[in-house]
Amino acid sequence: MHKQHASKGFHMKKILEIFSVAPCLCGGLLLFCAIPAHAMHISEGILPLGWAALWFAVAAPFVAMGLRRLNGLAKDDLSYKPLVGLMAAVVFIISCMPIPVPSAGTCSHPCGTGISAILVGPFVSVVISAVALLIQALFLAHGGLSTLGADIVSMGVVGSFAGWFVFRGMRGLGAGLAVAGFAAGLVADWATYLTTSVELASGIRGSEPFLPLVGRLVVAFIPTQLPLGILEGAMTAGMVVLLQKKRPDLLVKMRVIDKKELAAHA
Amino acid sequence: MRHAIHTEPADHPLVRLDARVKLLTALALIVMVISCAGSGFPLLVAALCLGLCVAMGVPPRRILIRFAEPLFIAAMVLLLKLFFSGHEPLFTMHLFGLELVGHRDGLREGVMIASRIAGAVSVVAAVGFATPFTELMAALAWLRVPQGLIEVALFAWRYLFVLFDDAQVVYAAQRNRLGYAGFRRGLRSFGTLAGALVIKAFDNSQTVTTAMVQRGYDGTMPLLRHRPFRKGEVLLSAAFVAMMGVLWRM
Repeated sequence: MHKQHASKGFHMKKILEIFSVAPCLCGGLLLFCAIPAHAMHISEGILPLGWAALWFAVAAPFVAMGLRRLNGLAKDDLSYKPLVGLMAAVVFIISCMPIPVPSAGTCSHPCGTGISAILVGPFVSVVISAVALLIQALFLAHGGLSTLGADIVSMGVVGSFAGWFVFRGMRGLGAGLAVAGFAAGLVADWATYLTTSVELASGIRGSEPFLPLVGRLVVAFIPTQLPLGILEGAMTAGMVVLLQKKRPDLLVKMRVIDKKELAAHA
Repeated sequence: MRHAIHTEPADHPLVRLDARVKLLTALALIVMVISCAGSGFPLLVAALCLGLCVAMGVPPRRILIRFAEPLFIAAMVLLLKLFFSGHEPLFTMHLFGLELVGHRDGLREGVMIASRIAGAVSVVAAVGFATPFTELMAALAWLRVPQGLIEVALFAWRYLFVLFDDAQVVYAAQRNRLGYAGFRRGLRSFGTLAGALVIKAFDNSQTVTTAMVQRGYDGTMPLLRHRPFRKGEVLLSAAFVAMMGVLWRM
């Protein structure tokens, strides 16, 4: 009973504490969080049928490529599918930390795709996002089945690829793990919400012109997404640094660093 | 989170219905709802599905939690469309020195989107409350959703609660050591918490694989086997979808 109670309180308490240490970041937006809100993507039902189908069509090749890569890697290493499943659970937990954006009609949250893209690559990260989003849609009403394609595109495809390219690019330029991890988390988050704004505008546009509405939604996301991107960047950097300190073998296994770098670090 | 996700299936005809039939019916309803140009049909679907949730014995608090965020979003979309979209003025109000004009056509569009959200979310909620996760995954596999995606989803579902418990333990330990006292320390602790989860995920995946290989795991997960379709269930569901289709066309 006590454990159940603690479990129930954990989520909101943790979120409130994390964000209460950054009142300047969150501002008064938590006032809108009087209801126990959770992570949110584009809500079920917002996108009309045509747009929902279009986003599914955009997401499908990336998911297919991700599955192909996953199956290929799983043939060589039987632990790969369980690992990807557990990473999906981690992304699920990370992306259940909300900040509502009342003016945009949606909520913001850390995406977690930056770190998954760094560790398993962008294509498999798309699969991880798809699974996390599917479970959230079915059992938490966060996102939806009809908007799954759009959510996969924004969080899975754009978030993963943006994070991965930035991480690899910065590492190529000689940046350390922490700096590259921070940039990857930051860019993955911001790129996700830029895409979400475009998708959301497609759904609620009605008779309005498209681009001005996208602009308004981007502006609406700024109060939460600007600080949240920094928070996600710091979180991603923290994760990568922790892995480097505690389990550098995992980073070598996932080809984030090579053996030379591991030896240099040791 | 565990409370929000995990539901004990009630003894209700909808719970006993074949998961494939439920999923197909739900998908048909969602397509009708999101392609509807009015707000009457989506609201009818919402009322019907909410009624089903209540009839299944889902506690009202759980229904409220499930619907809280989508309804909040629906309300916000409604306000957004009312005040920032449309051309026909309906009313004017003053708020903090700002003049806000509500538009009739904006209101109409807002109500339509809000009702679509309510309708579609209700359908998914009814299916979610009435169907265990493993049955839903087996139904998705029957619908030719790729096996790899289903397997990853099953692993994720199984270890979601394990990792959540681990996160609780790490968080409690951090908190007891003032890990969230101050912004910088809070950020660092948050990163460490997330990193610890990734390490747990890696370690658990190795342990799980070893245990599964010892039990014959060869890289593919067996799924639930469906019983044959029951004619009565299929016909009843087809009649229901047809009836809703007629209402959708009206």
